[in-house]
Amino acid sequence: MATIARPTDEMPRPNIAKAGLQLPAVKDYEQVDREIMATLRPTKGWFAALTVAIVCLMIGGAAWTYQIHEGLGVAGYNPPVMWGVYIVTFVFWIGIGHAGTLISAILYLFRAGFRTTIYRCAEAMTVFAVMTAGLFPILHLGRPWKFFWLIPYPNWRLLWPQFKSPLVWDVFAISTYLTISTTFLFIGLIPDVATLRDAEKNPIKKQIFSVLSFGWRNSEAEWRHFARAYLFLAAFSTPLVLSVHSVVSFDFAMALVPGWHTTIFAPYFVAGAIFSGMGMVFTIIIPIRKFFKLQHYVTLNHLDAGAKLCLFTSMVVGCAYMVEFFIGWYGAVPVEQEYWWNRVFGQWWWAAWIMLTCNMILPLSLFSQSLRRNPTWLFILSLFINLGMWFERFVIIVPGLSHEYEPWQWSTYVPTFVDYSILIGSFGWFFMWFLLFIRQLPVIAISEVKEIVPPRLRRVHPYPPAPEGEFASDTPGAHA
Amino acid sequence: MSLEVRDTAVGDTPVSETETGVKRRDFLKVLGVSGAAAAVTACYPNDKVEKLIPYVASPDNTVPGVSTYYATTCRECAAGCGVLVETRDGRAIKAEGNPDHPVNRGALCGRGQSALQGLYNPDRFRGPMTRESGKLVPVTWERALQLFSQKLGEAKSKGQSASAVFISQHEQGSFGPFLDQWLGGYGMPAHISYDAEAPLSTIAANRASYNVSWPNLEFGAAKVIVSFGADYLDGWGLSVTQQLAFADARAKLDGGPKVYYVGARRSLTGLNSDVWIPAKPGSEKTLADALLAAVSGKGTGGLKAAADSAGVAVASLEALARELQTSKPSLVLAGGNGEDGTALGVAANDLNKALGNVGVTVKPAFSSLAFEGLSSHSAVRDAAERMAAGNVAIAFVRGANPAYSMPGAVKFAEAFAKVPFKVSFSSYPDETTDLCDLILPDNHSLESWGDAVPTIGMIGLQQPVMDPVFNTRATGDVLIAAAKGDPSMAAKYPADYRAWITARSGGVVAITKALPTGMMASALAYSRVSKIVSGKSAGATAGDYFLHVYSSPALGDGRGANKPWLQELPDPVTKIAWQTVIELHPETAMKLGIEEGELATVETKQGSVTAPVYLFIGLRPDTIGIATGRGHTSYGRYANGCGVNAMALLPAGEDSRSGAVSLVTKASLRKAGGAARLITTEGAGRQHGRGIARALTVAQLVAGDTKDEKEVFVGQASNDFLPGLRSPVANDAQGDLGDPKSKDHGQYDPNHWSGVAKRRWAMTIDLARCTGCAACVTACYSENNIPTVGAPWQGPRVMPDRSGFGMNITRSREMAWIRLERYFEIDREPKDVAFNPDFDTRVIPMLCQQCGNAPCEPVCPVYATYHSPDGLNVQVYNRCVGTRYCSNNCPYKVRYFNWFGYGEPNRSQYAFPEPLNWQLNPDVTVRGKGVMEKCTFCVQRIKEAENRATLEKRELQPDEFTVACAQACPSRAIVFGDAADPKWSVSKMVNDERAYHVFEELNTYTAVVYLKKVNH
Repeated sequence: MATIARPTDEMPRPNIAKAGLQLPAVKDYEQVDREIMATLRPTKGWFAALTVAIVCLMIGGAAWTYQIHEGLGVAGYNPPVMWGVYIVTFVFWIGIGHAGTLISAILYLFRAGFRTTIYRCAEAMTVFAVMTAGLFPILHLGRPWKFFWLIPYPNWRLLWPQFKSPLVWDVFAISTYLTISTTFLFIGLIPDVATLRDAEKNPIKKQIFSVLSFGWRNSEAEWRHFARAYLFLAAFSTPLVLSVHSVVSFDFAMALVPGWHTTIFAPYFVAGAIFSGMGMVFTIIIPIRKFFKLQHYVTLNHLDAGAKLCLFTSMVVGCAYMVEFFIGWYGAVPVEQEYWWNRVFGQWWWAAWIMLTCNMILPLSLFSQSLRRNPTWLFILSLFINLGMWFERFVIIVPGLSHEYEPWQWSTYVPTFVDYSILIGSFGWFFMWFLLFIRQLPVIAISEVKEIVPPRLRRVHPYPPAPEGEFASDTPGAHA
Repeated sequence: MSLEVRDTAVGDTPVSETETGVKRRDFLKVLGVSGAAAAVTACYPNDKVEKLIPYVASPDNTVPGVSTYYATTCRECAAGCGVLVETRDGRAIKAEGNPDHPVNRGALCGRGQSALQGLYNPDRFRGPMTRESGKLVPVTWERALQLFSQKLGEAKSKGQSASAVFISQHEQGSFGPFLDQWLGGYGMPAHISYDAEAPLSTIAANRASYNVSWPNLEFGAAKVIVSFGADYLDGWGLSVTQQLAFADARAKLDGGPKVYYVGARRSLTGLNSDVWIPAKPGSEKTLADALLAAVSGKGTGGLKAAADSAGVAVASLEALARELQTSKPSLVLAGGNGEDGTALGVAANDLNKALGNVGVTVKPAFSSLAFEGLSSHSAVRDAAERMAAGNVAIAFVRGANPAYSMPGAVKFAEAFAKVPFKVSFSSYPDETTDLCDLILPDNHSLESWGDAVPTIGMIGLQQPVMDPVFNTRATGDVLIAAAKGDPSMAAKYPADYRAWITARSGGVVAITKALPTGMMASALAYSRVSKIVSGKSAGATAGDYFLHVYSSPALGDGRGANKPWLQELPDPVTKIAWQTVIELHPETAMKLGIEEGELATVETKQGSVTAPVYLFIGLRPDTIGIATGRGHTSYGRYANGCGVNAMALLPAGEDSRSGAVSLVTKASLRKAGGAARLITTEGAGRQHGRGIARALTVAQLVAGDTKDEKEVFVGQASNDFLPGLRSPVANDAQGDLGDPKSKDHGQYDPNHWSGVAKRRWAMTIDLARCTGCAACVTACYSENNIPTVGAPWQGPRVMPDRSGFGMNITRSREMAWIRLERYFEIDREPKDVAFNPDFDTRVIPMLCQQCGNAPCEPVCPVYATYHSPDGLNVQVYNRCVGTRYCSNNCPYKVRYFNWFGYGEPNRSQYAFPEPLNWQLNPDVTVRGKGVMEKCTFCVQRIKEAENRATLEKRELQPDEFTVACAQACPSRAIVFGDAADPKWSVSKMVNDERAYHVFEELNTYTAVVYLKKVNH
């Protein structure tokens, strides 16, 4: 955050960055309330987007119904490729779900100021991404109506799940993560919901907001408890960011499939998850700040800082790719070596090079400051990152299975329209929840923004304004 | 309760039908193999129970849930193997080889086992039919027989009888003489006993040389075997007998024969040979003559000229000549399929004579009678010519399908259509029967009485194993019924055909005594007269390529095409199922710019076929190979529209001496544009150094150098073979077979007082014996209710790009629990090589290895797969939720998933449409959609044997039972048993010096041990 933190001798170094530096265009609390609560008013664009999301969801729902009725054969499975688009998409959404907790919890603990305006959005994204991801392990089952057999529940037959199976670990990891991230989201929302409650005229909604705000009265004691609870949850969620995706990576690393059986998978998956999550944050936040005219909240500085995180994780991921390739060769296991060759230069070269291009090569553009501060480029790049990270999981899962130990059973994989429909449906499901969320609850944390905005009684800005020109482009409406 | 017991002979009982046209339950108990069978032979109970619950009052000698076995004779090809048919509650559920039968010694090929799918074929005729205003309509038997008698009477009275033609599928035994006697009674000429796939030229040559049609071939005595296109493992001659003998010979390892194959295409026989001499089609006779000159001391000068004309290296011929001279005895076989077939056969026989093989490896004194009385192709062609000329007033056909299996140039169907009245006795609709005016469907051979004379001095008996499935009648009975209506003949016949053959072969008492074994030692008059019309040459044919049409090992001349087991069985060589392919050498394809899977057109003067191209390195570059058997237009739902019929390409050329149709001609080839997915089970065609199917040379074996040929990398952990089945890991029952000092007794303590963990079920597969015939695959389908998945309606219903035959198999979704992998030992992909006849082929049956340390077990989240105390990987279908993780983690890829509801009767993908489901083994679950399945080591057989031993208060005897694949194997390559008990054969076999585990480096501790192949 070198571009915004300009410590001077006369000012203290509070935990939260100064409003004058962070949000120079936000002047007072009323402006915050007014501008952020404006996002809750439905617009034609919002209805159109929701319609598209629901149509996508219905396409996916219809495809799933067809698949349940006919059997999994309607999807493109081609033994020995027994896992395909569904598990790819599962890992993809779980990965997306990681950036939210990273931004809201880890960056909170690290006092990274740029998180303030984007964390609510990222946190909501986390919850909905995990909700989406959680569907896929059920959806890919041969008999999805028996999914609860994976859950250890007391039963008449004294049957328990196999605790050695990584799929059972997944059940615990995902349900824990969903619980914690949902709790974290709702706890963080308490002061904001109270604000909404106070502004709300509709008695029913007012009642709902009252319940959700736990009767928040803005007292000192409440603030104190709130802060401790928030800190505690942040600390609690932090290891989950690392553990959940590690557990997901064990689905592969614990198996003996060439290309899966790798010790690097846990850190590699976590880095990839954060990278993909940053990509999705950009995909979501850039249109939101444009359509709701919130450019003076989510400033170019914030995007710039996020882009640096993105660049860093991209390089971690790229490093992991290189290590994987190296070990594949260096391990001197012929099965692994053939698999790697086949993956990068053989049968799956196209998928591998989509992955390498989107995840390693294109993000290198973020070394350029002007591109980091160019929301259009960031948005385009974020789409490529989403694509690349989907293909990363594809390249991990499918080529390994298609080229295993038994040459007689080498095979290929072509998804069908059912796979694609369910993939589209998952986006519909995710965006439907997200759109409903931004219509009901503030997409930028009102209370946290207010914390860095000058209090009402201060007529004079306590800190010297930024030098003319440096933040000129940060004023609202200065860019399209 | 309505139990109706009728004392009546089998076969003449009209069977009531339900609305579906299929009786729900009929129960017939005839004679069992059990000792008490003789007690009930005085009355043959024909118990009909039209109730849901069978056996409120059980027939004698039947225990519900316990199988009864009937000994009978297989009629799926001419060989006449003995089979034991397992029946349960009145339904035949499995065909197994009769261990005492001299022809097949307990083994049975895939075609023989598939007789059940003929019996229960959903397209069988439900009853008699007549043609009314152009359409076949069902009639009653009374009406049909009345019409039959009327037409016979008309023919007789009009003096047209002498022109009648009766074409029957060749069956040695009493039916031929019976039929000729009946025809004679009406003044009709003797019938044509037609078998499209019979090796007529070899038979004619044997008659000329030895005066028998098929001498006994002693493969085991030979040091060298030379085959001039005689595909003795592909269906030429007596396939099971020959395969047993060949495998026994190869099992002598260093004492076994070196095998040469001379021919344009390396068939399964060719792939099992050590040396391939890729002679041009039609040049085999020159080579045989030159070899004869060389070995009889007339000098090797002729070899050079012969090698040049055959397009082979002279060195290979010289080596062969030397080998023949030095290694005696030898065995020379010829399966001529060209116009000089008989001449080639005689030349081969002369070689045998010159080398002193007659009486040593070729034994005319012990000849097979399977091909006695066989008519030639030319006889059928001659009949077709008479029909075309309008000289035939009435024609009959039974079982045979010449409209499909005769060369296109004969135009049999057009000729047959000109006959004013045509009667078919065939059980199924087919191309010939389709043209008939009256259909009097015969019982299936498993529903009929009959006999066979497979070899001198014995009769193979054929008895019904169940009541007819449909309203059909044995043709013998129908003919007798017709004759009874004619006063001049009535007195000559007993009540029915069964009585006729009983009288002929020694009377009721003798037959009754012999029936439980299916055989009787007796002499029976048999017809040795073969109807051979001398063949016509087709003259010179034009084209850039030789066309080599061969009989499909699975489908034969096409008669197997309506049985889904055989359609789904990948060809042992090409691994293609549900499809006809044009085989080309990769070199030819490259020259023409054709990729594998692209469509090509083969054209002759007679016609053309278009099919996808399959690249096969075992084919001369100037030759095109096409298998017969597919391309039916009217042979039921599993055959119609599947593949193309290569017979359409053939000119009407015949061998003048044997009358055999010539399967070799010239053809042109061009790219047709477009492509199709190959319906193949082949992934990669070579092993990539992974040591799956391993082999030793004789020199290595003799020197005791049995080390692996696997690539070993620097630093790689040693993975030498662990003797036996050690498994020192915790998840296994094998504590005492593992490290004896270990305190870790595994998941199950082997010394547990209950004894549950004392066994270790295991299997050895001897690759020196295995030929890759895939009889085990069909046995497994039959025993374990494995669905076939290749029919067009078994795919997803909303997926326009994936329809047609084999759709599921193009997505590798075949369900074969045991599969035959066929690897070529070459260093490039077999799609991309220059012609080189010198390559080794390895076949290996791959099934669940029942690992002691199974990768599939810990990953299943719901314990649907786990380890049983006796060492099995158990799969619990009911517990499976279908995560498919087990399959991902299986290095052998032997787990199969139910992508659709193949086992659910209300679905379009149902694999067992009524009455195919009557065949289902009641001891094995039919799996629903969404669950994983795999080889269980026939756990139902294990449990049955254990329960039987417990009931009889005794221990299980060593080698008391075996699994379905081992039981069927005509190579005797598979041995199953308890490896923890030293008394079982398998526990000795696992310690063989040739033994190895596949992927031993993965520490899976498999229970399937392979023994290395031995190359000469």
